[in-house]
Amino acid sequence: MTSPESSDDKPVLMPHSYDGIQEFDQSLPNWWLFTLFGSIVFAALYWAYYFHSGVAVDDHTALDADLSVLEAKQLAAVKDLNDETLWKMSRNALTVTEGQAVYTSLCITCHGPTLAGVKGIGFRLNDADWVHGNTPTAIYRNISEGIVFDGKPTGMAPQKALGTAKIAAVTAFLLSTQEPGKLAVIPRSEEPSQK
Amino acid sequence: MAHVPQRDSVTTIAPDGSRRFLQPADVGGQWVRARRAFGWLLIALFAAMPWIDINGNPAVFLDIEQRHFHLFGATLGLDDFWLLFFAISGLGFTVYAVTAMFGRIWCGWACPQTVYMEHLFRWVDRWIEGDHHQRTRLDGLPFNDPEKLRKRGFRFLVYIALCWLVAHIFLAYFVSIPGLYPLITGAPTAHPTAFIGMAAMTGVLLFNFWWFREQLCLAICPYGRLQSALIDDNSVIVGYDARRGEPRGKAVAGITTGDCIDCRRCVQVCPTGIDIRQGLQMECIACTSCMDACDDIMTKLKRPVGLVRYASLNELNGGQTQYWRPRTILYAALLGIGAVVAAFSLSQIQKAGFKLTRQPGVELYTDSPGAVTNFFRAKILNKQGREVRFFIETEFSPVPITILNQSAGLVVPPEGEVTFPLVIMVDRAHYTGEFNLTVRLRSEDGKTRLKQKLHFLGPDSTAPQPPTR
Repeated sequence: MTSPESSDDKPVLMPHSYDGIQEFDQSLPNWWLFTLFGSIVFAALYWAYYFHSGVAVDDHTALDADLSVLEAKQLAAVKDLNDETLWKMSRNALTVTEGQAVYTSLCITCHGPTLAGVKGIGFRLNDADWVHGNTPTAIYRNISEGIVFDGKPTGMAPQKALGTAKIAAVTAFLLSTQEPGKLAVIPRSEEPSQK
Repeated sequence: MAHVPQRDSVTTIAPDGSRRFLQPADVGGQWVRARRAFGWLLIALFAAMPWIDINGNPAVFLDIEQRHFHLFGATLGLDDFWLLFFAISGLGFTVYAVTAMFGRIWCGWACPQTVYMEHLFRWVDRWIEGDHHQRTRLDGLPFNDPEKLRKRGFRFLVYIALCWLVAHIFLAYFVSIPGLYPLITGAPTAHPTAFIGMAAMTGVLLFNFWWFREQLCLAICPYGRLQSALIDDNSVIVGYDARRGEPRGKAVAGITTGDCIDCRRCVQVCPTGIDIRQGLQMECIACTSCMDACDDIMTKLKRPVGLVRYASLNELNGGQTQYWRPRTILYAALLGIGAVVAAFSLSQIQKAGFKLTRQPGVELYTDSPGAVTNFFRAKILNKQGREVRFFIETEFSPVPITILNQSAGLVVPPEGEVTFPLVIMVDRAHYTGEFNLTVRLRSEDGKTRLKQKLHFLGPDSTAPQPPTR
């Protein structure tokens, strides 16, 4: 019977010795080496594809493309929004309720539960006097972009993050108590809530 | 002749670096039976978790998309992320304590790699290709041999099906069973990310269990190496009793021999290809196969079992195993402290999140004749599965303040988050300069109370009041 020690592939010692310590001359597993050579090949292909092929799209371009698709969608939605459609929405009970829900969780802080405004903070919204534009689209823009007065940002911060649908719904809610053609423009100092 | 394991090199890696593929022999016995039962219990638990309903949510549902983590009835949000510290450190101390006492018991009994490999995939190997002699014969056949093509091909299909199933269960941990169903019935193009994730997971599992196998334990797994480093002379390992077994060999008249008859059964059954009689080795995953194999032989020879057994190095050298020693006491104490603090922290988890920051894009404060005003942005997270009305109130303030239009409270949808502006005003008559205040978020039932400290900005108290506009 063969002795267990008679194996033909006993590891060979390397000839060098440091402080009496020697090391075996053993191969790395092939799969391990494959990860090394594989990553070298990958790096070369990556470099060629992303920097020299002209086919690859870099992150900035991809991001810009994604953003422009998003913007196009928003623009398409806004395009259908004009004074007429916003007035129409303001007479739709469902849209107004939706707008009221957004108002109650967001706008109420400064403009109050009855739209009466808060002195020094938020304008009165339940009268026919408007300061920063008296058209539905102007109201929509003021909500979306916020209001800058005298070159300084005011408490009315941009609410663009709400999205087109919700901003339109809030606009419709505000218009629901108004009559077309009866919105007047007054100077900022005349606004009752500013006094 | 079969390869003879060397202590100085890895059996599964040939001198030229190529893989030496093992076909371990089948083994039966008390340890294998116990491990198999335990392994199937673990697989059943893994598969059942997404199905078990606790408080209206799956037992484990890591909802990454909504950033809600449901764990055994509790719902954690991203702001509870710090609890992971206890999970990780607790796991660490458990591994330290258990390994210092019982060696690599995790590897042999509970590691998913071992559980699925030994109790599922090797069982498939045995079922389709026969015992280790037949599998080794099949290995030696050319790749285009019809029998080999038929058996290997069928086994490959079974492996794909099993890996695909495991990948789906794994995916269910992140999308839940109701979320998984439309992914299964819908077209892959409708949800490419989930599909690619599932396909990649299937591929990785297939590669691992079909080909990579013990290489994961030997070359990749950091816990295996960590555990090897944590074992000392008192740790219970799977060990060969050389004092009883040596000198090995057949009993021949006139020569004194030990109990080991050098039948090499322990080597044939080893899933990592080592010879346990060469002592404690890095490759040993403490799977107990050699214990059962040797006990079987010893029983047939009517010699006492346990030539290969769970024992510490001290015990194998004729001494006693000392379980409680300074390091195991320290590990257990640290684990205990961590468990107590973690339990306390978990009991303090709030069912809501509350964060106030300054409103971006507006002035830091406004100063009108009537009042000084600060603008904040409030974020409320409702972690409960139902609508909750929250109120924001003054907890502490040195001067009277007004929180605008929040007296009616705010309804937050189930597991929803709302962000809205919060305006705090101080009457000019009370204003004496900047100050610190604390506001509180309170749920309607009063069970959730969260506080936040704020700094109220304003003009210097000595500054004149602005003229009336």
